[in-house]
Amino acid sequence: MKNRSRVIKSTLDITLIGLMVAVIEASKIALLGLPNIELTTFWIIMFTMFFGSKIMFVIPVFILLEGCMFGFGLWWVMYLYVWPCLALLAWSCRRQESVWFWSVLSALFGLFFGFFCAIPYVVIGAADGGIKNGLYAGFTWWVAGIPFDLSHCGGNFVLMLILYHPVRIVMRRARTMLYT
Amino acid sequence: MTEKKNSSKKIIVGMAVLVVLVAAFAIIFSVFRAKPVEGSKSITIEVVDKEQKSSVYDLKTDVEYLREAMEEAEGLEFSGTESEYGLMVETVNGITADYNVDGAYWAFFVNGDYCNYGIDTQPVTDGDAFKIVYTVNSEE
Repeated sequence: MKNRSRVIKSTLDITLIGLMVAVIEASKIALLGLPNIELTTFWIIMFTMFFGSKIMFVIPVFILLEGCMFGFGLWWVMYLYVWPCLALLAWSCRRQESVWFWSVLSALFGLFFGFFCAIPYVVIGAADGGIKNGLYAGFTWWVAGIPFDLSHCGGNFVLMLILYHPVRIVMRRARTMLYT
Repeated sequence: MTEKKNSSKKIIVGMAVLVVLVAAFAIIFSVFRAKPVEGSKSITIEVVDKEQKSSVYDLKTDVEYLREAMEEAEGLEFSGTESEYGLMVETVNGITADYNVDGAYWAFFVNGDYCNYGIDTQPVTDGDAFKIVYTVNSEE
């Protein structure tokens, strides 16, 4: 009996992980036409808050799927550390309940997205012509993308502000239904 | 009660930090972004095709961005898909690079470095040497 309940629980977990990946991916594709307006940040934060460690399986599957769909370019390397960092950040603040807190956090993540993504350019530039060259390459790449980071910041802030409360209610209900 | 007050204080501080950072980023962008130079500029655009054959276009221009310069270059033909980032070049001088077929794309360089901007926003300055290279992503 104990064994059976463990199996059911793991089947449930696998299904839930698949669903979470599907929700992130579908939202991403739906908003592809809007520059840097995305719901990935929102979902990763919410899933981390409500389903904790399961996000450790969701993010790798999501990243792998993205690579398969859009090609394994340099942007894919950025995804390898950017999204896990967000989940770690959300997990460390999971007790926060204020919509303003999460909106500011999402906005900051959007604002610094380009900054963090410039790291591979620093490494490539440094490997090519020394650390000064690397920092210059990373800096110019980051600066060129600042308008997109600003729209990312605004988009993340507004989306979290609008969706946080309704989605939180639904997810709280879902968690209670699934795990009690 | 005090806890709630502290929490709202933290949120206000967080919002203020966000606003300051947004302003700082906007300033950094306006100060350090690559700026186009107005006036007569002498530039070259080199196209390296599938067979590594090179065609060089020298032009004197007043345009500010690469797309306009490419349109001015006599004999250089290009087309692509308009997107929110500007024109995504797919065909140059009749040769189409299709990433979905074999991982091929047209790579853009300015003075030996990868262009950080799309052709609609890539500034043109005097003496710039642009290179448009048919490139195949070997991982595909």
